[in-house]
Amino acid sequence: MASPASYALRRHQQQRRRPLQDDNWVRSDGRGFHQCRPAFLRTGAARAASGSAYAEFGSTKVIVSVFGPRESKKAMKYSGIGRLNCNVNFATFSTATRGQESDHKDFSSMLHKALEGAVLLESFPKTTVDVFALVLESGGSDLPAVISCASLALADAGIMMYDLVASASVSCIGNSLIIDPAAEEEDCQDGSLTVAFMPSRREITQLTLTGEWSTGRIHEATELCLDACSKLGEIMRTCLKQAVSSST
Amino acid sequence: MVGLSAGEKNFIRGGIEQDLRADGRQRQDFRPILIETGVIPQANGSARVRFGATDVIASVKAELGKPNPLQPGRGKVAIYVDCSPTAAPAFERGGGEELSTELSAALQKCLLGGKSGAGAGIDLSSLMVLEGKVCWDLYIDGLVVSSDGNLLDALAAAIKAALTNTGIPKVDVGVGASPDEQPEVNISDEEFLQFDTSAVPVIITLTKVGREYIVDATSDEESQMSSAVSVSVNSHGKVCGLIKRGGAGLDASVILDMVSAARHVSQKLIPLLDSEIDAAEAASLAGQGSDVDP
Amino acid sequence: MAAVKEDAGGRGGGFEGEMEVEAYRRLFPLPYYERHLLESVRPDARPLSSARDTSIAVGAVSSADGSALVKTGETTMLAAIKLEVMSPSQDSPDEGSLAIDFHMPPICSPTVRPGRPAELAPVLSKQLSDVISRSKMIHLKELSLVSGKAAWMAYLDIYCLNADGSLFDVALLSAVAALAHLHIPLVSLNDEGRIIAVSGDPSRKTTREVVNKDKRKLSLNSVPFSLTCLLHKDYILADPTAEEESIMDTPVTVVLDSLDCLVSLYKPGGAALALTSSLKECVSLTRRRVQELRSILDEALQSTEMDED
Repeated sequence: MASPASYALRRHQQQRRRPLQDDNWVRSDGRGFHQCRPAFLRTGAARAASGSAYAEFGSTKVIVSVFGPRESKKAMKYSGIGRLNCNVNFATFSTATRGQESDHKDFSSMLHKALEGAVLLESFPKTTVDVFALVLESGGSDLPAVISCASLALADAGIMMYDLVASASVSCIGNSLIIDPAAEEEDCQDGSLTVAFMPSRREITQLTLTGEWSTGRIHEATELCLDACSKLGEIMRTCLKQAVSSST
Repeated sequence: MVGLSAGEKNFIRGGIEQDLRADGRQRQDFRPILIETGVIPQANGSARVRFGATDVIASVKAELGKPNPLQPGRGKVAIYVDCSPTAAPAFERGGGEELSTELSAALQKCLLGGKSGAGAGIDLSSLMVLEGKVCWDLYIDGLVVSSDGNLLDALAAAIKAALTNTGIPKVDVGVGASPDEQPEVNISDEEFLQFDTSAVPVIITLTKVGREYIVDATSDEESQMSSAVSVSVNSHGKVCGLIKRGGAGLDASVILDMVSAARHVSQKLIPLLDSEIDAAEAASLAGQGSDVDP
Repeated sequence: MAAVKEDAGGRGGGFEGEMEVEAYRRLFPLPYYERHLLESVRPDARPLSSARDTSIAVGAVSSADGSALVKTGETTMLAAIKLEVMSPSQDSPDEGSLAIDFHMPPICSPTVRPGRPAELAPVLSKQLSDVISRSKMIHLKELSLVSGKAAWMAYLDIYCLNADGSLFDVALLSAVAALAHLHIPLVSLNDEGRIIAVSGDPSRKTTREVVNKDKRKLSLNSVPFSLTCLLHKDYILADPTAEEESIMDTPVTVVLDSLDCLVSLYKPGGAALALTSSLKECVSLTRRRVQELRSILDEALQSTEMDED
């Protein structure tokens, strides 16, 4: 039975007006421009997996399971090094309007690129490690949340990595750079910069940028992201330490 | 991908180190660029671009549609790339699908700007016909015919050329329709509006091999890369998009260095592409003679 | 192979003396279990007739109109409802609609992979829709807004976050909890005949009439609860884990509503043929479980109501 055509309510009077151009506007959740949302991280969220993690940044909620190393399923060619297979899904209720969740087809390949530079693929030759993510609630900065959570899940699964991967994004709205944008801020952004970073090695594994930027702004935004990633890296490390100490 | 012997790999790496690549180029040289426009008569605009043995086609189809209710003052653009199974051995049996999605996503990021529409290479508000009711939808399709590295740069150049070649029919909107009805439109088949492509950026991919980075890498050279950064730059020297590709991590200062290198290269590439596109346009007009047929 | 199994299980000598317990569990799962069953205990230390601990957290998804996270043992389900507006059908102009979908994303189990959806998911979707519609828990008339013009279309999506057996029971419980938590937003009709939300902000005066002032919650009557039991020989194991389900293959699922009426009884084949007496036993186990689940659900709902007040 085909369900009848229906439409979603317009909740908030769709305030898509751009914030004032004079840098004095205030973020909807009262944060400072360079202040991240509080992070809540837990490993071992799904016991069926080899490793898993749950991450919550404000209203952005993601869960990631890691399976393997296990047999490569597809009729793949022989590979002397391991494969990393990434897949990101959105729950139907994750976005404000049902059915918007399919806009993120490239998240799987973005996640793969952010992680592959950190994982020691040689440590599991001929096999595959599957990284599956489900976005339960999309509250903005979804991809950085998925990347950070996935690296935590890989660590929980005991997959060898050079370093944890922490990720953060910056939105450019008017003349302001704001870190860790919420969904409504992303909707009116002029540009964005997302960085995935290995804090201890100080290496960037993935960087994407949209919108028009001068070199100076790129510099400024990258610094902002790297700083946020380093701080998040510390929180991730603490979370792993806690998980180990509570299990022994 | 044909496997390379250890000797061949050394030759490629060594050449790049000494600033003399296997085909005689220096690190920051492009291969000869060939551009033809108007290659697909059914499309509103099309172009074929060749960088050495890399051969791509882009076409633009314009259709009337309804604007997104959240952005009533703008038209819509969709970019899709397809890698022909014959373009490279790796693309056989659906092998190119992943690359196709990656290229499509990268082009969308580089050409369409931020979510608010700022910094877009394609001005979406110029596609608006009647606010909230009628707009042009542009379908931009890229086809990789033959692949020898540097696909993204070639596709971006082909899209720029195809958009220059695009004529969008003039539309008259019927007056008097009530506000909640779809108005009547009259599409002219004689008058065309030329599309302004001066803001469309070029993409320059810098491929890192060893300690150096090169532009316009061939597929042999790409097989030796540790990572690559694609930078999209417009004629004002502003960066319109940036995507890191390939596995290994990079230091932030290296990435910023690559960005300034890309901007430097763009100052030569943009005028070169513009003059090639103009020449191709002149040639295609001359070929068609005086009867301009949509 | 069969003979070896019999040996190992039957006499219990030889093998396990030399073998580590974990290896024995993997190589001879059935004898391993049967040894436990003889002692009337399960490897996770539960008595045969006990279900695992269950917890309910309602309101877990803020982007949804109603939601619940339910955990029974390690099986975790997240159910959420999103309301949209539709024009009701000609046949039932004053009824809304409820669409139920059960998802098993790849994160929930090693057996599910992207691109190849789990076979079980559509089966459970259908079973859940059937049970919820047949139990008459929801009055679809309560989902009506303007007769013949507009009604709610409620999308109930249930995601399995971790699959460890008894999926139907936990999915049903999460669906029921999400429906109980559902908050219907205040709406009014605008000039174009579309339903729009009324903001709760009193400073913004609305001249429009609120359509659904006294229909903010669904009145749930006869709420269904279920329990799955495994039949193996003379044993009845309540609320099996994934491991137990894979070893012993005769499940019986009983659904009772809060008035103690039987809504559904489901025994999809399996090696064991169920005697009337064992079915009766399953029903009485379920009856006990329903009491437990009702109090857990009531407690969860009450505690959130207090939070919201």
